[in-house]
Amino acid sequence: MIQAIAFYLFATLVLASGVLTIVARNPVHSVLWLILAFFNGAGLMLLVGAEFLAFLLIIVYVGAVAVLFLFVVMMLNIDFAELRAGFVKNFPLGIAIALVLLAELVLGVGAYRAGALDLGTADGMAAPLAGESNIENIGALLYGRYLFLFESAGIILLVAMVGAIVLTHRGTRSPRGQQNIARQIARKPSEATVNTKPEIGQGVEL
Amino acid sequence: MDLIQYLPILIFLGIALGLSGLFVFLPMGVARLTGAHNPHADKLSEYECGFPAFEDPRSQFDVRFYLIAILFIVFDLEAAFLFPWAVSLDLTGWPGWITMMVFLFELTVGLAYAWKKGALEWE
Repeated sequence: MIQAIAFYLFATLVLASGVLTIVARNPVHSVLWLILAFFNGAGLMLLVGAEFLAFLLIIVYVGAVAVLFLFVVMMLNIDFAELRAGFVKNFPLGIAIALVLLAELVLGVGAYRAGALDLGTADGMAAPLAGESNIENIGALLYGRYLFLFESAGIILLVAMVGAIVLTHRGTRSPRGQQNIARQIARKPSEATVNTKPEIGQGVEL
Repeated sequence: MDLIQYLPILIFLGIALGLSGLFVFLPMGVARLTGAHNPHADKLSEYECGFPAFEDPRSQFDVRFYLIAILFIVFDLEAAFLFPWAVSLDLTGWPGWITMMVFLFELTVGLAYAWKKGALEWE
Protein backbone atom coordinates (compact mmCIF):
# COMPACT_ATOMS: atom_id res chain seq x y z
CA MET A 1 0.00 0.00 0.00
CA ILE A 2 2.63 2.51 1.11
CA GLN A 3 4.87 1.14 -1.64
CA ALA A 4 2.24 1.82 -4.27
CA ILE A 5 1.65 5.34 -2.97
CA ALA A 6 5.39 6.01 -2.88
CA PHE A 7 5.79 4.64 -6.40
CA TYR A 8 3.09 6.86 -7.86
CA LEU A 9 4.42 9.86 -5.93
CA PHE A 10 8.00 9.36 -7.17
CA ALA A 11 6.93 8.48 -10.71
CA THR A 12 4.70 11.55 -11.00
CA LEU A 13 7.38 13.81 -9.57
CA VAL A 14 10.13 12.41 -11.80
CA LEU A 15 7.99 12.95 -14.89
CA ALA A 16 6.91 16.42 -13.80
CA SER A 17 10.41 17.57 -12.92
CA GLY A 18 11.73 16.07 -16.16
CA VAL A 19 9.22 18.10 -18.16
CA LEU A 20 10.01 21.22 -16.12
CA THR A 21 13.73 20.67 -16.79
CA ILE A 22 12.99 21.02 -20.48
CA VAL A 23 10.53 23.88 -20.39
CA ALA A 24 12.11 26.03 -17.66
CA ARG A 25 13.12 29.38 -19.11
CA ASN A 26 16.10 29.84 -16.83
CA PRO A 27 18.89 27.26 -17.32
CA VAL A 28 19.78 27.36 -13.62
CA HIS A 29 16.19 26.42 -12.80
CA SER A 30 16.51 23.59 -15.33
CA VAL A 31 19.45 22.16 -13.42
CA LEU A 32 17.56 22.42 -10.13
CA TRP A 33 14.59 20.56 -11.63
CA LEU A 34 17.02 17.95 -12.92
CA ILE A 35 18.32 17.47 -9.37
CA LEU A 36 14.74 16.91 -8.18
CA ALA A 37 14.31 14.35 -10.98
CA PHE A 38 17.49 12.57 -9.79
CA PHE A 39 16.17 12.38 -6.24
CA ASN A 40 12.87 10.91 -7.38
CA GLY A 41 14.68 8.48 -9.66
CA ALA A 42 16.65 7.36 -6.61
CA GLY A 43 13.37 6.81 -4.80
CA LEU A 44 12.09 4.64 -7.66
CA MET A 45 15.31 2.60 -7.68
CA LEU A 46 14.94 2.06 -3.95
CA LEU A 47 11.43 0.75 -4.52
CA VAL A 48 12.58 -1.87 -7.05
CA GLY A 49 15.32 -3.00 -4.69
CA ALA A 50 18.40 -1.41 -6.29
CA GLU A 51 19.61 0.18 -3.07
CA PHE A 52 23.22 0.70 -4.05
CA LEU A 53 22.31 2.31 -7.37
CA ALA A 54 19.84 4.59 -5.61
CA PHE A 55 22.46 5.91 -3.24
CA LEU A 56 25.03 6.12 -6.01
CA LEU A 57 22.56 8.22 -7.96
CA ILE A 58 22.30 10.65 -5.07
CA ILE A 59 26.01 10.70 -4.21
CA VAL A 60 27.45 10.83 -7.71
CA TYR A 61 24.73 12.45 -9.81
CA VAL A 62 23.27 14.92 -7.35
CA GLY A 63 26.51 15.49 -5.49
CA ALA A 64 28.87 15.80 -8.41
CA VAL A 65 27.35 15.65 -11.89
CA ALA A 66 24.56 18.15 -11.21
CA VAL A 67 27.11 20.54 -9.73
CA LEU A 68 29.16 20.09 -12.88
CA PHE A 69 26.09 20.90 -14.99
CA LEU A 70 25.60 24.01 -12.90
CA PHE A 71 29.22 24.98 -13.53
CA VAL A 72 28.77 24.53 -17.26
CA VAL A 73 25.59 26.62 -17.24
CA MET A 74 27.36 29.29 -15.22
CA MET A 75 30.47 29.32 -17.35
CA LEU A 76 28.82 29.62 -20.72
CA ASN A 77 28.36 33.22 -21.66
CA ILE A 78 25.37 32.62 -23.87
CA ASP A 79 22.27 34.70 -24.19
CA PHE A 80 19.71 31.95 -23.75
CA ALA A 81 16.82 34.08 -24.96
CA GLU A 82 18.69 34.55 -28.22
CA LEU A 83 19.41 30.83 -28.35
CA ARG A 84 15.75 30.03 -27.93
CA ALA A 85 14.85 32.32 -30.81
CA GLY A 86 16.28 29.71 -33.21
CA PHE A 87 13.72 27.11 -32.13
CA VAL A 88 12.05 26.73 -35.52
CA LYS A 89 15.37 26.71 -37.34
CA ASN A 90 16.83 23.97 -35.11
CA PHE A 91 13.61 21.98 -34.94
CA PRO A 92 14.63 19.26 -37.50
CA LEU A 93 17.97 18.71 -35.75
CA GLY A 94 16.23 18.45 -32.39
CA ILE A 95 13.78 15.90 -33.75
CA ALA A 96 16.67 13.88 -35.24
CA ILE A 97 18.51 13.78 -31.91
CA ALA A 98 15.28 12.84 -30.12
CA LEU A 99 14.76 9.98 -32.58
CA VAL A 100 18.31 8.70 -31.99
CA LEU A 101 17.70 8.77 -28.23
CA LEU A 102 14.38 6.97 -28.69
CA ALA A 103 16.10 4.29 -30.80
CA GLU A 104 18.69 3.85 -28.05
CA LEU A 105 15.95 3.46 -25.45
CA VAL A 106 14.14 0.88 -27.58
CA LEU A 107 17.38 -1.02 -28.17
CA GLY A 108 18.15 -0.89 -24.47
CA VAL A 109 14.78 -2.37 -23.54
CA GLY A 110 15.21 -4.95 -26.30
CA ALA A 111 18.63 -5.95 -24.98
CA TYR A 112 17.14 -6.27 -21.51
CA ARG A 113 14.46 -8.57 -22.87
CA ALA A 114 16.96 -10.65 -24.85
CA GLY A 115 19.17 -11.64 -21.96
CA ALA A 116 18.26 -10.34 -18.57
CA LEU A 117 21.13 -9.71 -16.20
CA ASP A 118 20.96 -11.86 -13.12
CA LEU A 119 22.55 -10.55 -10.02
CA GLY A 120 24.14 -13.36 -8.13
CA THR A 121 27.26 -15.43 -7.93
CA ALA A 122 30.45 -14.46 -9.65
CA ASP A 123 29.54 -16.13 -12.95
CA GLY A 124 26.34 -14.11 -13.10
CA MET A 125 24.22 -17.09 -14.05
CA ALA A 126 22.55 -17.80 -10.76
CA ALA A 127 19.68 -16.10 -9.04
CA PRO A 128 20.42 -13.37 -6.49
CA LEU A 129 22.24 -14.63 -3.47
CA ALA A 130 19.73 -15.26 -0.76
CA GLY A 131 20.34 -13.42 2.45
CA GLU A 132 22.96 -11.16 0.91
CA SER A 133 22.47 -7.46 0.47
CA ASN A 134 22.08 -5.74 -2.86
CA ILE A 135 25.55 -4.21 -2.65
CA GLU A 136 27.14 -7.62 -2.12
CA ASN A 137 25.34 -9.03 -5.16
CA ILE A 138 26.56 -6.13 -7.28
CA GLY A 139 30.10 -6.56 -6.00
CA ALA A 140 30.12 -10.28 -6.71
CA LEU A 141 29.04 -9.67 -10.29
CA LEU A 142 31.05 -6.55 -11.02
CA TYR A 143 34.36 -7.93 -9.75
CA GLY A 144 33.69 -11.45 -10.97
CA ARG A 145 32.03 -11.77 -14.33
CA TYR A 146 32.20 -8.16 -15.52
CA LEU A 147 35.78 -7.64 -14.40
CA PHE A 148 37.06 -6.43 -17.77
CA LEU A 149 34.18 -4.01 -18.19
CA PHE A 150 35.09 -2.62 -14.80
CA GLU A 151 38.73 -2.21 -15.82
CA SER A 152 37.71 -0.46 -19.03
CA ALA A 153 35.55 1.86 -16.90
CA GLY A 154 38.75 2.67 -15.03
CA ILE A 155 40.52 3.45 -18.31
CA ILE A 156 37.62 5.69 -19.35
CA LEU A 157 37.87 7.56 -16.04
CA LEU A 158 41.61 8.00 -16.61
CA VAL A 159 41.01 9.35 -20.12
CA ALA A 160 38.33 11.71 -18.79
CA MET A 161 40.72 12.99 -16.17
CA VAL A 162 43.58 13.52 -18.62
CA GLY A 163 41.19 15.13 -21.11
CA ALA A 164 39.86 17.56 -18.51
CA ILE A 165 43.38 18.53 -17.51
CA VAL A 166 44.50 18.99 -21.11
CA LEU A 167 41.43 21.05 -22.01
CA THR A 168 41.10 23.31 -19.00
CA HIS A 169 44.48 23.51 -17.33
CA ARG A 170 46.32 26.66 -18.31
CA GLY A 171 49.59 26.06 -16.58
CA THR A 172 50.99 27.82 -13.57
CA ARG A 173 52.04 31.20 -14.87
CA SER A 174 51.46 33.09 -11.73
CA PRO A 175 52.73 36.62 -11.23
CA ARG A 176 53.21 35.80 -7.59
CA GLY A 177 55.47 32.84 -8.28
CA GLN A 178 55.53 29.52 -6.53
CA GLN A 179 56.53 28.73 -3.01
CA ASN A 180 59.36 26.23 -2.83
CA ILE A 181 59.26 25.03 0.74
CA ALA A 182 62.39 22.85 0.44
CA ARG A 183 64.40 25.86 -0.73
CA GLN A 184 63.06 27.99 2.06
CA ILE A 185 64.01 25.45 4.69
CA ALA A 186 67.45 24.83 3.18
CA ARG A 187 68.27 28.54 3.29
CA LYS A 188 71.05 29.39 5.76
CA PRO A 189 71.78 32.81 7.32
CA SER A 190 75.38 32.62 6.15
CA GLU A 191 74.27 32.42 2.50
CA ALA A 192 71.51 34.95 2.79
CA THR A 193 73.27 37.84 4.53
CA VAL A 194 76.68 39.46 4.14
CA ASN A 195 78.35 41.67 6.70
CA THR A 196 80.23 44.59 5.18
CA LYS A 197 82.12 47.51 6.71
CA PRO A 198 82.13 50.27 4.14
CA GLU A 199 84.50 53.22 4.55
CA ILE A 200 82.92 56.55 5.29
CA GLY A 201 82.00 58.26 2.04
CA GLN A 202 82.33 55.03 0.04
CA GLY A 203 79.43 53.12 -1.39
CA VAL A 204 78.69 49.45 -1.07
CA GLU A 205 79.35 47.07 -3.97
CA LEU A 206 76.36 44.84 -4.49
CA MET B 1 15.34 -6.74 0.99
CA ASP B 2 13.04 -5.16 3.43
CA LEU B 3 11.50 -1.91 2.27
CA ILE B 4 10.09 -1.27 5.73
CA GLN B 5 13.59 -0.12 6.75
CA TYR B 6 13.10 2.92 4.57
CA LEU B 7 9.79 3.89 6.11
CA PRO B 8 11.38 6.39 8.58
CA ILE B 9 13.10 8.12 5.65
CA LEU B 10 9.77 8.37 3.86
CA ILE B 11 8.15 9.80 6.98
CA PHE B 12 10.99 12.31 7.34
CA LEU B 13 10.49 13.23 3.69
CA GLY B 14 6.82 13.90 4.30
CA ILE B 15 7.55 16.00 7.38
CA ALA B 16 10.22 17.96 5.51
CA LEU B 17 7.86 18.61 2.61
CA GLY B 18 5.12 19.74 4.95
CA LEU B 19 7.40 22.01 6.95
CA SER B 20 9.01 23.61 3.94
CA GLY B 21 5.63 24.18 2.34
CA LEU B 22 4.41 25.72 5.58
CA PHE B 23 7.40 28.05 5.84
CA VAL B 24 6.86 29.26 2.30
CA PHE B 25 3.10 29.61 2.14
CA LEU B 26 2.13 30.48 5.70
CA PRO B 27 3.77 33.96 5.70
CA MET B 28 2.33 34.65 2.27
CA GLY B 29 -1.16 33.65 3.40
CA VAL B 30 -0.92 35.61 6.64
CA ALA B 31 0.31 38.67 4.75
CA ARG B 32 -2.62 38.48 2.37
CA LEU B 33 -5.19 37.95 5.10
CA THR B 34 -3.95 40.70 7.38
CA GLY B 35 -3.76 43.23 4.59
CA ALA B 36 0.01 43.67 4.66
CA HIS B 37 0.20 42.39 1.09
CA ASN B 38 0.81 45.58 -0.83
CA PRO B 39 3.33 45.04 -3.66
CA HIS B 40 5.00 47.99 -5.27
CA ALA B 41 7.76 48.14 -7.85
CA ASP B 42 9.84 50.50 -5.72
CA LYS B 43 9.93 48.02 -2.86
CA LEU B 44 11.96 45.65 -5.01
CA SER B 45 14.28 48.21 -6.62
CA GLU B 46 17.61 49.25 -5.14
CA TYR B 47 17.70 52.19 -2.77
CA GLU B 48 20.19 54.91 -3.72
CA CYS B 49 23.57 53.15 -4.11
CA GLY B 50 22.40 49.70 -2.96
CA PHE B 51 22.76 46.47 -4.87
CA PRO B 52 20.10 45.44 -7.39
CA ALA B 53 17.72 43.11 -5.58
CA PHE B 54 17.20 40.80 -8.54
CA GLU B 55 19.56 39.80 -11.28
CA ASP B 56 20.46 36.83 -13.43
CA PRO B 57 21.55 33.92 -11.21
CA ARG B 58 24.15 33.02 -13.81
CA SER B 59 27.47 34.67 -13.25
CA GLN B 60 30.62 33.70 -15.03
CA PHE B 61 33.46 32.24 -13.03
CA ASP B 62 36.80 30.65 -13.56
CA VAL B 63 37.15 27.48 -15.61
CA ARG B 64 39.47 26.08 -12.94
CA PHE B 65 36.46 25.24 -10.78
CA TYR B 66 35.38 22.92 -13.57
CA LEU B 67 38.69 21.06 -13.51
CA ILE B 68 38.41 20.60 -9.76
CA ALA B 69 34.84 19.30 -10.18
CA ILE B 70 35.91 16.79 -12.86
CA LEU B 71 38.72 15.49 -10.68
CA PHE B 72 36.27 15.27 -7.80
CA ILE B 73 33.84 13.17 -9.86
CA VAL B 74 36.58 10.75 -10.90
CA PHE B 75 37.72 10.11 -7.35
CA ASP B 76 34.15 10.12 -6.08
CA LEU B 77 33.43 7.25 -8.47
CA GLU B 78 36.59 5.48 -7.38
CA ALA B 79 35.40 5.64 -3.77
CA ALA B 80 31.93 4.48 -4.81
CA PHE B 81 33.41 1.45 -6.59
CA LEU B 82 35.31 0.52 -3.45
CA PHE B 83 32.16 -0.14 -1.41
CA PRO B 84 30.78 -3.18 -3.30
CA TRP B 85 34.31 -4.48 -3.70
CA ALA B 86 34.94 -4.35 0.03
CA VAL B 87 31.79 -6.21 1.04
CA SER B 88 32.00 -8.90 -1.66
CA LEU B 89 35.67 -9.82 -1.34
CA ASP B 90 34.77 -13.18 0.22
CA LEU B 91 32.82 -14.03 -2.95
CA THR B 92 35.28 -12.73 -5.57
CA GLY B 93 38.55 -13.70 -3.92
CA TRP B 94 41.94 -12.95 -5.42
CA PRO B 95 40.74 -12.06 -8.96
CA GLY B 96 38.49 -9.41 -7.46
CA TRP B 97 41.30 -8.08 -5.29
CA ILE B 98 43.75 -7.87 -8.19
CA THR B 99 41.09 -6.19 -10.36
CA MET B 100 40.61 -3.46 -7.84
CA MET B 101 44.34 -2.98 -7.40
CA VAL B 102 44.74 -2.55 -11.17
CA PHE B 103 41.84 -0.09 -11.14
CA LEU B 104 43.39 1.87 -8.30
CA PHE B 105 46.71 1.86 -10.15
CA GLU B 106 45.04 3.31 -13.26
CA LEU B 107 43.58 6.15 -11.26
CA THR B 108 46.83 6.66 -9.37
CA VAL B 109 48.52 7.17 -12.74
CA GLY B 110 45.89 9.81 -13.42
CA LEU B 111 46.53 11.41 -10.05
CA ALA B 112 50.26 11.46 -10.66
CA TYR B 113 49.64 13.08 -14.06
CA ALA B 114 47.37 15.72 -12.52
CA TRP B 115 49.92 16.41 -9.81
CA LYS B 116 52.81 16.63 -12.25
CA LYS B 117 50.85 18.98 -14.51
CA GLY B 118 50.11 21.23 -11.58
CA ALA B 119 46.34 20.73 -11.94
CA LEU B 120 46.01 20.39 -8.18
CA GLU B 121 47.60 23.79 -7.63
CA TRP B 122 45.18 26.65 -7.43
CA GLU B 123 47.54 29.42 -8.45
